[in-house]
Amino acid sequence: MLDVGRHPNIDLMAYSEVEEVAGDCGDFRVTVRRKARYVEEDRCTGCGACKEKCPTVLPDLFNEGLGTRKAIYSWFAQGIPSTHTIDPAHCRQLNGKKCGICQKVCQADAVNFDQKDRVVELDVGAIVVATGYKVFDPSQIPEYQYRQIPNVITAIEFERLLSASGPTSGHLHRPSDLLAEAEIEALEKDVKKSEKTLDRFEQKYDQASAAFYDAYQKGEYAGDEDREKWAEKYAAHLALVEPLEAMKKEAEGFGVAKRLAFIQCVGSRDFRFYPFCSGFCCMHSIKEAIIANEHERETTSVIFGMDIRAVGKGFEEYKVRGGNQSGIRYIRGRVAEITEGPHHNPVVTYEDTRERKVVSRDFDLVILATACAPSEGVDRLAGILGIELNRFGFFKTGTSRPLDTTRPGIFACGCAHGPMDIPESVAQASGAAARAAQIVAAANLRKAS
Amino acid sequence: MEIGIKMSGKKPQAEELRIGVFICDCGSNIAGHLDCASVTEYASTLPGVVYAKENLYTCSEAGIGEIQKGIKEQNLNRVVVASCSPRTHQPLFQNSCAAAQLNPYLFEMVNIRDQCSWVHMQEREDATQKAKDLVRMGVSKAAFLEPQRDIEASLIPRVLVIGGGVAGLSAAQSLADMGLDVILVEKDAEAGGLLRRINRLAPHGEKAADRVLEMMESIKARPNATLYLGSRVEDVSGYIGNFEITIRPDGGDAIHEKVGCIVVATGAVPLKPEGLYGYDGTRVVTQMELEERFLSGSMDAQRVVMIQCVGARCPEREYCSRICCRTAVKNARLIKEQNPEAHVHILYRDMQMYGTENEQMLWDARGEGIRFDVFSPDRPPVVREDRVEFYRPLTGEMMEIPCDLVVLSTPLVPREGSQALSQLLRVPVDQNGFFLEAHAKLRPLDFATDGIFVCGSARYPANVEEAVSQGLGASSRIATILFKDKLITSAIVAEIDPESCVGCMGCMEMCPYEAITYLPEKNICEVNTVLCKGCGCCAATCPSQSARLKGFKPEQLLAQIRAV
Amino acid sequence: MVNKDILVIGGGIAGIQASLDLAEMGIHVYLVESLPSIGGKMAQLDKTFPTNDCAI
Repeated sequence: MLDVGRHPNIDLMAYSEVEEVAGDCGDFRVTVRRKARYVEEDRCTGCGACKEKCPTVLPDLFNEGLGTRKAIYSWFAQGIPSTHTIDPAHCRQLNGKKCGICQKVCQADAVNFDQKDRVVELDVGAIVVATGYKVFDPSQIPEYQYRQIPNVITAIEFERLLSASGPTSGHLHRPSDLLAEAEIEALEKDVKKSEKTLDRFEQKYDQASAAFYDAYQKGEYAGDEDREKWAEKYAAHLALVEPLEAMKKEAEGFGVAKRLAFIQCVGSRDFRFYPFCSGFCCMHSIKEAIIANEHERETTSVIFGMDIRAVGKGFEEYKVRGGNQSGIRYIRGRVAEITEGPHHNPVVTYEDTRERKVVSRDFDLVILATACAPSEGVDRLAGILGIELNRFGFFKTGTSRPLDTTRPGIFACGCAHGPMDIPESVAQASGAAARAAQIVAAANLRKAS
Repeated sequence: MEIGIKMSGKKPQAEELRIGVFICDCGSNIAGHLDCASVTEYASTLPGVVYAKENLYTCSEAGIGEIQKGIKEQNLNRVVVASCSPRTHQPLFQNSCAAAQLNPYLFEMVNIRDQCSWVHMQEREDATQKAKDLVRMGVSKAAFLEPQRDIEASLIPRVLVIGGGVAGLSAAQSLADMGLDVILVEKDAEAGGLLRRINRLAPHGEKAADRVLEMMESIKARPNATLYLGSRVEDVSGYIGNFEITIRPDGGDAIHEKVGCIVVATGAVPLKPEGLYGYDGTRVVTQMELEERFLSGSMDAQRVVMIQCVGARCPEREYCSRICCRTAVKNARLIKEQNPEAHVHILYRDMQMYGTENEQMLWDARGEGIRFDVFSPDRPPVVREDRVEFYRPLTGEMMEIPCDLVVLSTPLVPREGSQALSQLLRVPVDQNGFFLEAHAKLRPLDFATDGIFVCGSARYPANVEEAVSQGLGASSRIATILFKDKLITSAIVAEIDPESCVGCMGCMEMCPYEAITYLPEKNICEVNTVLCKGCGCCAATCPSQSARLKGFKPEQLLAQIRAV
Repeated sequence: MVNKDILVIGGGIAGIQASLDLAEMGIHVYLVESLPSIGGKMAQLDKTFPTNDCAI
């Protein structure tokens, strides 16, 4: 990534979109909108002082909503370019409320609330489409209860939990536990406030609240409005403290998720959504199970699939090793339903087709291996570029020229072309580069030194 | 400004050291966790240091300006930057020095971020002290740095493609279209590889012969592509940019050529499953033999059973050959197309129909009445005279399928000659005998040995579309090299002192890049500086310290260590 | 008239590889990415199979 940012021959336009393409192979005129970041890209050094002070907290999409970010943010710490961006939908200053703290603390004088989108025109000879894919949203499968049960998550969310740079520093905390801890934190704040209020009364009347309340309940202080207030506050306080203690006790038993279930083909090989196979999700689940086991040796995983497709170089060996050394069991069957059991444990009901049994079993965490779907806006982009989509919704390419789209001079590679893993994407990317280079070969002097 | 430094292992005497040290705050990344001002002050007291400056962001325009100003105004002859990891900005800082007329190899970088502030975030005092120690080490080494010159080599804009199958033809055509000369060497009398034996292609049923013809016409139409059929590559010597090759046509005289890069596209062959499932080549055949029957019109079986994973995904051969499932489905559908009354039954472990088109084929096949049954590898099917028996785990029953033809789907295996070729080119193969690329994920078509690339089934079983894409990919990788005027490689390379080398060849065994050769007439080893990547393995191994890595010589490293 | 520059749409691993190859060939590339930084889905991965290398 760094090489891209530094290469003299690459003009990196991040936070930008292609709006229009005119012309033809060899002579395209492309209109690109460079969206306003409200931060001067060449001044921002990525130091992060701004986001420390920003008051607006939002879900962090890079961490799939499992963590938070501020209205001024960087997509991720090692991102290229390293500049920050202000989210115009949520920034206070940009929405008419007074703030501007980021501008005040920025030592590089990079914040600029007056920045506008810039529209640039590019003349190019060829275009390479490498727009990737979109992760299928499993809330479309009601029987998996993805939004209802907190401990049912997607593969990419699991990836963020496993990541040392993720929201839990690589500890596999269950989302239900994280929610409980957040609730405990909020309750503790309320309790502190309540204690302050009670303290004022205690000072005033030189009496402990508990003793006062006892007496109050026995009928003393009847008619005393001030003391009535005190009693009210105390009752409210108790109503906070009791559940808080119970929650804290339960939280003592929180550990990391150790019994994992991976459900393959969520959205894939499914007539309701995408009939095709997403290619890499079997391997992805195996990898996640192996790494989870590395983090915590007691972790066991069950992978539910129809066919376990480990077809790339080294993949079958990896899968077998996972089964032998990392506590993975492969069960052939599609999961019928997920319900929630005690302790927020997801309960998976499935048919083990090899054993010919229908089973319901609970796990600590269920991970849905979601489909690799055509990316957001692919129809619009196809329209802008004047190229066709194939029947699966990806960019259509030729039979004997597999990287050429339906329009000369425009090429597709990677998941924009169809679901594939990283080595295939890389090989195709080089291939598309070759095709594009051939178009402009005549115009370039091929003096690259 | 170059300085004559004696390589005597002692501190340089020729000219007074004028070291400039630039301490980076890195915003709050470093300054937030240690006292940069104090480190800068400390740096200014170190021997040889004439200038020390603290910067907010050394990598910013302002920071670079400070370095260049320092070099000019203070007459610096060494620069030390204490900041982040060399992986981030070392090239930037080196280029900045060069732009200010200081040899870029007289620059040393000290990491006080990843290796200090980031890992000692709550220990300000200790972190500050550690940063001072690291700076002192860097300055001590800097005193021993020597100016270097990048290494240049010429590049011959011609490519050798070994193998005239789909992948090789694709690579050759693409290279030719990019203006490079191509020599394609194919051992058979005709090009096309395995495709010549195949009937039709998935997923659209195109005739393989048509595709071969199309690709052959393509190559013939390109004047800068030369095809040697019925020929082999007999010898290869040299290195990236300058390979010398010998081509031997069958029964002909040797042809000598010079090329800049080489593509390995030698493909693979289907396994002949001798001893498995009663294979006899007549009633129990391979998928390839089925293809040949289609082509010759002698495919007339009415009841066919196909068995997957024959000789694959087993202890002898652990890998999955990935294209046999789609081949079986393709052929099953062709049988049905030819004869809708035919019975076709596929016995499998996993149907590896990855991606969009393959999965669609599977669905269509089921719709056409082709039967699929999973079997367990510990209870494989048994082939009898007129039927196949297998245990069906999904119903717990023993099944019998009457049949008049059994087709075994076997994996592609490496060609017999691939071992020899790997030795000739000095490129590795993996435990299955397929050529091993430089990096499984990010460099699937490169070899670690510079200038040599791989594509198609020689690397791992690939279908036609994948082989074509990979051939294109290899051509792009080559263009990134051969489109340049010359090859420039880093000066940080190893050198072997011919006086003290005893020719033990320990360094050769260690070198991952095949960059060292043994010269028998002198009984010494020699480093090819173009291939050398400066990893230092040879220098660490050499028992006589004859192998030394420039920029990391013993005296330089020892100065660093002693400064702790 | 053939323009000499190339546009790559998408800054994930495929877009990055294509851009770098072209740039190394001496061709000028515009790399357009809609998110605030490049890296795509791969940047969200912890490690990649089968080598378990880190994804960045």
